[in-house]
Amino acid sequence: MMHAPRGERETPLDRLAPGEQGTIERIVGDRSMVRRLMELGLVPGTPVEVVRRAPLGDPVELRVRQVHLSIRRSEAAQIRVTPR
Amino acid sequence: MSRPADTPASETPAVVPLTLDQRPARGPAIRRRIAILGNPNAGKSTLFNALTGLRQKVANYPGVTVEKKLGICALPSGGRVELLDLPGSYSLRPGSPDEVIVRDVLLGLQPDTPPPDLIVFVVDATHLDRNLYLALQVLEIGRPVILALNMMDAAEARGIRIDERALEEQLGVPVVKISAARGTGIGNLRRLLERDVEPSTVRFRRLPPHLARVVQRLETRLPRHELLPERGRHDLALALLLDDGEDDAIARAAPPEVLDDVGILRRRLDQLAPGWRSDDIEERYETISQILARTVLSPGETRDANRERIDRVLTHRIFGPLIFLVLMGAVFQSVFAWAQPAMNAIDFLMTRVGFLAEGLMPAGPLRSLVVDGIIAGVGTTLTFVPQIAVLFLFLSVLEDSGYMARAAFIMDRLMGRVGLSGRSFIPLISSFACAIPGIMATRTIDNRRDRLTTIMIAPFMSCSARLPVYALLIGAFVPNRWIGFGTLPGLTLFSMYFLGIAAAIAVAWVLKRTVLRGGKPLYVMELPPYRMPSWRSVLITVRDRSLLFVHKAGTVILAVSVVLWFLASYPRGGPEVSALASRIAAAQAAGDAPRATELEDEMAGVSLRNSFAGRVGRALEPAIRPLGFDWRIGIGLITSFAAREVMVSTMATVFNLGSPGDDVVSLRESLRGAVDERGRRAYTPLVGVSLMVFFVLACQCMSTVAVVRRETNSWRWPLFMLVMMNALAWVTSFAVFQGGRLMGFG
Repeated sequence: MMHAPRGERETPLDRLAPGEQGTIERIVGDRSMVRRLMELGLVPGTPVEVVRRAPLGDPVELRVRQVHLSIRRSEAAQIRVTPR
Repeated sequence: MSRPADTPASETPAVVPLTLDQRPARGPAIRRRIAILGNPNAGKSTLFNALTGLRQKVANYPGVTVEKKLGICALPSGGRVELLDLPGSYSLRPGSPDEVIVRDVLLGLQPDTPPPDLIVFVVDATHLDRNLYLALQVLEIGRPVILALNMMDAAEARGIRIDERALEEQLGVPVVKISAARGTGIGNLRRLLERDVEPSTVRFRRLPPHLARVVQRLETRLPRHELLPERGRHDLALALLLDDGEDDAIARAAPPEVLDDVGILRRRLDQLAPGWRSDDIEERYETISQILARTVLSPGETRDANRERIDRVLTHRIFGPLIFLVLMGAVFQSVFAWAQPAMNAIDFLMTRVGFLAEGLMPAGPLRSLVVDGIIAGVGTTLTFVPQIAVLFLFLSVLEDSGYMARAAFIMDRLMGRVGLSGRSFIPLISSFACAIPGIMATRTIDNRRDRLTTIMIAPFMSCSARLPVYALLIGAFVPNRWIGFGTLPGLTLFSMYFLGIAAAIAVAWVLKRTVLRGGKPLYVMELPPYRMPSWRSVLITVRDRSLLFVHKAGTVILAVSVVLWFLASYPRGGPEVSALASRIAAAQAAGDAPRATELEDEMAGVSLRNSFAGRVGRALEPAIRPLGFDWRIGIGLITSFAAREVMVSTMATVFNLGSPGDDVVSLRESLRGAVDERGRRAYTPLVGVSLMVFFVLACQCMSTVAVVRRETNSWRWPLFMLVMMNALAWVTSFAVFQGGRLMGFG
């Protein structure tokens, strides 16, 4: 699989506003957590969308491979994306 | 890489133990064991229900809290197979106790559950790529698989078109399109279950070369294991290398020197290929996209308009929480409104049965045991069933429709403050009605530590059984005065509820930092599409929950009930009782019925005060004196272990009032007027408050202990709960009573 070069634009996923999309570059942090997120389909190169934030601002709802996931913002911060 | 030719599917033992039903009279013997597997929300359980009907049973895997669901499926030919509903999983590299079970069953490492002869892998056709991830992992271990493309109705409605013959070719296993909820395609699937299915011979691109080399090296060092097929050594080697959970079965299956090697190999890989732990994931998703390119003719509508419309309202910033609160309010109103009549009916019925037994049996210890021990214990168990049934009726509708995940999404932030997740909110709220169904509802919490924490704090929520006790004590000791914005009794009641919530938060905070401390869990949760719940699934859940409670918790409740009966009724007789008995006889002979009843009440009081419970109450007095309680309250603390509201009737008996019935006025008078040995007032308002505080915090409910035993599958947690809650109750009541005295109250 081709990895896009890590550019200046790489952003933690929690910085994306609801409705914005990005492409996953990499996931940082605890390796079992990285593995699990990737197994759920969050592999580099995959498009991901922040659908909404929960009423209290956390967690956020992601849409990836047509699956909707609830993920805490602290966890989303470990997913690095290129906005598009 | 795929299954080597020397391991045919038939290598698994042909003769399997009949675990569900061994009576041959019910039909032909069960030849095969089939497992249903798939992602959560793929419709596994709906399919399981459709295939088995009501022929199922639920048990636990030994040593863990994971439920094992077994059923019998009739085949078109008249044969029968045993079906095992494996827990929903995302991966064979486990991230939860449920997934550990799935891996261990499939690898043949689960002692009580041999690997299945055939796997029905259920795929949600509207989420094909994520679902195929686990499917590929399962195909790779080389067991016979049938792929069931479920939810085809929803997929077709969205214009998704899948070429199942091409998918069969790509995967190398039979593919069948079904809709488990509508029942379409189930006949085809049943026919397929008759066939001998061969494991896939497709060579899936599997491991990156550096990983493959290491796994191969490890594989040759593993001994031939009795439980593992030849092929299994490869999968075990992979699991050894990649799984680093807290387990267990994998480590036990390998000799210690191999485990040392695993550490060395991991460190070497860390240097050579830093991303090695997740390289196989990218490979697998790459394979999946190639398969999809050849099998999905039309991807259909990529957005689910239905879900977007509903979610805009249900997770709206203002309407979302509002709807959630209204919904919860409606659920609890219904639990009270629907369950209460049934509970009263059961109560009435059991009293009738008691009278009947009294009429049929001669007076004596045996009758007393049957009526006051056994029938009372069965009654206690049964009165919980309406609450459990009604609550689970609602909860399973909410769960199956997809709303429960949204509720957790809305509440997550709040619960995160105490180290839990949104999933803990509904079990805790349910516990205000009764901790029993609340604790049973913790099954939806997948994080083990969060689930245990929730179970441990659920009984702090003031349940409906505490209300009669609060009502008695507030009525007896709290003057009905307006202060500020409410009445004093109302504020007192509110404070008791508040104290319970505060204790729950504090205990959760402490537990998450001590005994239930653990690595930072990942709180990722799938928000499934909205679906119409199937009534069959809902009713099966209600039935399973109710029956499990009666079977597993009911036996403990019955045993404790008999012990409590014994303590309160023995030793019998004594000179005082004989004297009263003759006075009763005299009063009856004289036709003075009121006097006879009065004397009978007095005799009940004397008997209880002289019983073992009475003696324990007295022996307990030094321990509870610092809380302001005397031995009479001590008796009540013992008997109310049957159920908290028993405190009221026990106090009535202790004060010679017989059964209080609906009118507790005279009992309030007795409490207010009670004097100690030196003629001083025994219970001041401060004692009343101290006792209420004790009831908020103490674990005085055998049914809670029994259900925690059942839900945690061990005695360790219920005993921990008993000690922790009662210690907290003692310390807090001590502080209230002694502090109050220092400040000049009482």
